[in-house]
Amino acid sequence: MLALQLLVNGLVTGCALGVVAISFGLIYATTKLFHVAHAGVYTLSGYLAWSLVGHGVPAIGAMVVAMAAAALLGGLIQGVLYAELERRRATHLVVLIASLGTLAVMQNIIAAVYTPNILQFPLPWSSRMVSLGAVRLTWTQILTVVLCLSAFAGIMWFSHRTILGKQIRAVASNPFLAEITRLRPQRIYVTVVAIGSAVVALPGILVPLDLGLQPYSGITPLLTATIAMIAGGIGSIGGSFLVAVGIAVLQNMSLLIMPGEWSIGVTFGIFIIFMLFRPTGLFKGR
Amino acid sequence: MDFLYSYIALAEIYVLLGLSTNLLVGIAGIFTVSQAAVFGVGAYIVAYCLMHDVMGFVPALLVAAAICVVLNVLVTLPSLRVSGDYFVVTSFGIQLLATAVFVNWTAGTGGANGLPGIPSPDVFGYQLESSHQLVLLTTVGSALGCLAFWLIMRAPFGRLLRAIREDELAVAAAGKGVLRAKVSAAALAGAFAGSAGGIYATFLSFVDPSSFDLDASILLLTMVVVGGARTLAGSVIGPFLLLALPQVLSLIDIPTSIAASARQLIYGVLLIAFMLFRPQGLAGEKL
Amino acid sequence: MSAPYLQAAGLEVAFGGLRALRDCSFVVDQGRITCLVGPNGAGKTTIFNAITGFLKPQQGSVSFKGRILDGMKPQAIVHAGIARSFQNLRLFQDLTALDNVLVALPDMAGEEPLGALFRPLHAHRATGRRRVDALEILEHVGLVEKSREFVRNLSYGEQKLLTIARLLATGAELLLLDEPASGLSHGALEALMALLRRLQTEGKTLLVVEHNTRVVQKIADDVLFLHQGHLMARGTPEQIISDPALAEIYFGGAI
Repeated sequence: MLALQLLVNGLVTGCALGVVAISFGLIYATTKLFHVAHAGVYTLSGYLAWSLVGHGVPAIGAMVVAMAAAALLGGLIQGVLYAELERRRATHLVVLIASLGTLAVMQNIIAAVYTPNILQFPLPWSSRMVSLGAVRLTWTQILTVVLCLSAFAGIMWFSHRTILGKQIRAVASNPFLAEITRLRPQRIYVTVVAIGSAVVALPGILVPLDLGLQPYSGITPLLTATIAMIAGGIGSIGGSFLVAVGIAVLQNMSLLIMPGEWSIGVTFGIFIIFMLFRPTGLFKGR
Repeated sequence: MDFLYSYIALAEIYVLLGLSTNLLVGIAGIFTVSQAAVFGVGAYIVAYCLMHDVMGFVPALLVAAAICVVLNVLVTLPSLRVSGDYFVVTSFGIQLLATAVFVNWTAGTGGANGLPGIPSPDVFGYQLESSHQLVLLTTVGSALGCLAFWLIMRAPFGRLLRAIREDELAVAAAGKGVLRAKVSAAALAGAFAGSAGGIYATFLSFVDPSSFDLDASILLLTMVVVGGARTLAGSVIGPFLLLALPQVLSLIDIPTSIAASARQLIYGVLLIAFMLFRPQGLAGEKL
Repeated sequence: MSAPYLQAAGLEVAFGGLRALRDCSFVVDQGRITCLVGPNGAGKTTIFNAITGFLKPQQGSVSFKGRILDGMKPQAIVHAGIARSFQNLRLFQDLTALDNVLVALPDMAGEEPLGALFRPLHAHRATGRRRVDALEILEHVGLVEKSREFVRNLSYGEQKLLTIARLLATGAELLLLDEPASGLSHGALEALMALLRRLQTEGKTLLVVEHNTRVVQKIADDVLFLHQGHLMARGTPEQIISDPALAEIYFGGAI
């Protein structure tokens, strides 16, 4: 029975992780930048929502505002920092270090303002349990599945059915060609990072509803999501999401045989296996 | 006086780490946030050897360095085969995994409480006890490190590494092995970081996971970025400057509860500012 | 009869849907200057990449002096005796002209960390000797007085000569040059052609991608005409240039 509960928990966590993976994958596939600061946006959106809820804003409102703020922040990082670095012809390594610096700045502003201690959302309904047969779920978990699956479907639809989505995929596949056809890559990049940031705010709020907020907790989910993105095939939205769910399930099932502190080892083991045997990912991206 | 000694000794240990990070980031052009983990492995190995009387300080240091060489090579090898960005993932992963081991493997590392009471080092029969004897040790250690770095940079190997950083394809077309050179750089970086760890453990006589976490790796990166890539001067200036920062901060009236975050915040700002406005650091070459 | 010097047989390379090389076969003879011509996108650079191990053909085989090169790494192919230049030069901008040549010299002492660390004097002396070799090579291409200049301070023509110096440093006997003459002024062009002729008399074999028909006429012993990834014709420069069908393809009816 424990195994079944862990399986379900893994599926729920996997949905949230999957959304982190597709948001990062969207940015990475388009801008080709390893946007480490994405972990900071993820964390900050949760804290923002916490503050808003603390000031009496209803949960849905707090979520919408936090997503908008995350979009703005992401857009600024791309539009101001990365664009300026590109103008200065910075190497990939330089941009990466600047991105890491941005992450450090965001995390430590959070730690200075909110203290490094763990914070819980003052929302009693979020941890209330519902029994579904032998499995028990919190309302947060149900909300996570519903919202994250909707986000997944939404991004699939956006990327394949809308004009902006098609433009983004065009820029992603060939920025030079896109420039000739006047698609203006930089503008598309800002849009993409803004969208990715808004999307990552969703798990950024939902995961802490369950586990609480901590300023330095963004890097592990980002790392896991990146592994899912690589293993799923860069550019493949469905592949990234599926592998993220797979990793989360494996992590949860591994609790049957080893303590939770080592789950990072499981994640990393999966990564090494992929690196050795299938470096281009399970599902070839387009 | 003791305070000055310990500042110098610590800065000199970080010079070794700065050289190690510079070899990877500045010279081979490999992004890394896991050098603190390698540093930690070196520290725990020497601590274990001395506390359990397995061997003396010098052989323990050699063992630590050798293990860290193997570790760094294993870590870099698979990623070098595929793509640069995968190494970012590997590097973060190794750092987080190492922290998990340091914190949770209580039997070996003392867990979050760390290992107190590491004996002072013995060098060829002499027991180094006082702070100025220890400074002597760190000075000799960092001087040897600087000499090695200097020799490498002026040798053909240094030239090959510079060429690789600029254009790997052109190096391959010139008939030289890129992978082998990069792995060699990683191995050297491992030896530097491992020895630094061993000296650090005996110098403080105490190690705990907080010295070897992701923040420590970011500090190392900041040192190289501020000091400057690919030069000896840069690798020396960075540590001395950044380790003085906490003292400067203590002069300003910052509540102790946020002192650590304020410090890390400044590192972050420095990383961004230098990348934007001075990618060559204070005394280095362009990154 | 002995094996051909360089032989490509049935090379097939496709990028996605685009077939860059289709059943491409040709032979290059030792001691001659062979020019590879054809319209843009005919697959000339792809041939270089396929010969030197930078990409793996889906089918076909390349052999050099009877030795099969398939599956070998670029580095090993250089050791086998084939070196190539790049259209966009790919010089090391932050290194001096001399260092660019030194990087390519084979069997350099102190090129691995242990030698550099534990036998520094040996490495230093060896470097001194190799420096003389490198300066000789620079002298050969006419760049010796620029040896201490950083590449970024050299003129475009000088940079092109330096790429040839770097090729010579590898010690390879078959040199693949990708558009060595493009973008050169008249004087630099003459100097380059003289240099290529001189290399030939010194025993090098050259395979040259070239667009300028005047240059082809002047230097080529043999011309390979490539069209849509396939070898269309082979002959002397006069034969190729006087063939109206080839001119039609090459100039697309522009003249």
